[in-house]
Amino acid sequence: MSAMLEVKGLQKTYFKGRFDRTPTFQLGADFVIEKPAIVGMMGPNGSGKTTLFELITGSNSPTAGEVRVQGKNIHHVRTDQRDRLAIHYHQSYQVRSFRSLKPNVLMQPADSDYPVVHLFDEPQFNTQDGYIGFMLDFFRKLRADGRLVFLCVHPNERFHLEILQEICEQFIFVQKGVVTQHDSYDDVLNYQPARDYLGQLLTDRAA
Amino acid sequence: MALFEARNIHKRFGSRVVLENISLSFEEGQVNGIMGPNGAGKTTCFHCLTGHYKPTRGNIIFDGQDITGKPPQRISRMGVSRSFQLMNLFDDSSVIENIILALPDFRRRYAQATRSVFDDRELLEQARVILDQVGLLGQEWLPSLSLSYGNRRALEIGVALAANPRIVFLDEPTSGLGAEATRQLASLINKLRSKYTIVMIEHDMRFLFELADTISVIHWGQVIAQGTPDELQSNKWVQRSALGEVA
Repeated sequence: MSAMLEVKGLQKTYFKGRFDRTPTFQLGADFVIEKPAIVGMMGPNGSGKTTLFELITGSNSPTAGEVRVQGKNIHHVRTDQRDRLAIHYHQSYQVRSFRSLKPNVLMQPADSDYPVVHLFDEPQFNTQDGYIGFMLDFFRKLRADGRLVFLCVHPNERFHLEILQEICEQFIFVQKGVVTQHDSYDDVLNYQPARDYLGQLLTDRAA
Repeated sequence: MALFEARNIHKRFGSRVVLENISLSFEEGQVNGIMGPNGAGKTTCFHCLTGHYKPTRGNIIFDGQDITGKPPQRISRMGVSRSFQLMNLFDDSSVIENIILALPDFRRRYAQATRSVFDDRELLEQARVILDQVGLLGQEWLPSLSLSYGNRRALEIGVALAANPRIVFLDEPTSGLGAEATRQLASLINKLRSKYTIVMIEHDMRFLFELADTISVIHWGQVIAQGTPDELQSNKWVQRSALGEVA
C-alpha cells in the first residue's frame, strides 16, 4: 500500500528572469506521510507555504523531484482530474488553473472520486461566529474517512495555537524555503526557528 | 421518507468545483436552515435544488420523484417555490396584483385577458387568503413600493406561497431587515411552519437557532456540519462565540 503523500527530493527555484538565472527563491522539501492525518503547517509569510501547496496539488511544476499521492505522480495525472487527488482551498472554494505540456488524453486518470489530500490555506478563523467548531469537526470527519488534511495557519492570536494544538497530530514548518517535519505540537515548539517565529504568542502562554 | 432530498450533488463551472458531494434531506413540515460564510456555495446550492442550475452530478428527489435537470417552471408547478436574495416584486403594482400574478389559476385563465381580473371574485379571494397568511390583509390596494421593507419581504414570501407549494425555499429572508422586522419575520415563519416545509439560507445564526428544526452548515462547497440547533450549539467553539449566549 503506497503512502498517502510522498514528497521526494522536491525543489522549486524561481529565477530573476529568463536570461538572468540568479535564483531569487528556492524551496526544498522531502517528507512522507504514510497514513490519514491532520497536519498543521506554519511558517512566516513568503516562506514558501503556498508554493508547497501548489506543488502538492500539481498546479505548479517542480524544478526537480516529485509528489506522489497514494502512489500516483500528481504531475502525470490529467489536469482536469488532479483535484480528485489533492485539492487546495482558499478562504472560499477555489481550484487553481493548471498548465501542462501534454494533452490530457496522454496522461493518467486520477482514479478517485473525492479528493485524497485536502489543503486548507489559512481558513478564516473568527471566534465570534462559531464556525471554527464546525470547520474542526469537518477536518476530523475527513481524517476519519481516510483523507489527509493540511491546515495552514499563520498564527497571530493565541487561539490559533489552541486550534493547532487541539487538532493537529503532526506539523510541517516552512521557513525561507526549508521544510521540516515534526511529530507533535511539543516537537515543533522545541524547534528553535519555530519558537523564534511564534515568539510573543508563546510568552503570552507563560504569562 | 423525506419530502425533498439532494443526493451527492456536484456542481462544476469549468475547473472550479463549486459544490462537492452535497447531500441534504428535508422532512415534511420542518423548518430547515442552511448557513455558511460568503462564497461558500449556498445560493448555487439553492439554484441546483430548484432547477435553475443543472447539477454536474447527483440527484434531486421531490416527493419520491427524480426532478434532476427538470426546468424550474416544471419544478415550481410540482410544488417547489422559492424567493431570491434580491427583491423580486412589481413595484408599481398593488400588493394584491403581485399575488394574483403568481396564482396558478390566474396563469391558467388569463393567458389571453378578455376581462378584468378584478371582477374575478374567486381569484381575489384566493389572493386575500395568501395575504392573510403573510399578515398583509388590509394593505392589498397599496402600491407594493409603499410598503415597509419588512412588509415587502412578507409580500415576497406571499408571492412564493401563491404558487401553492409544498416546499418553499427562501434565500436570506432577513437580509436588510432591522431588529423589529426580523422579529416579525420570525413570527411569520412560525405561523407558516405547520402548512409548508421551509428551507432557508440565513446569515443570521441566532434567527436560525431559534426557528429551525435542522441546520446544515455549508463551507468550501460542502456540508461541513449538520444537526439540530441543540446539537450544533453543544460544540465547544460555538459556546465560546457570541452565539454561546443564546444557548
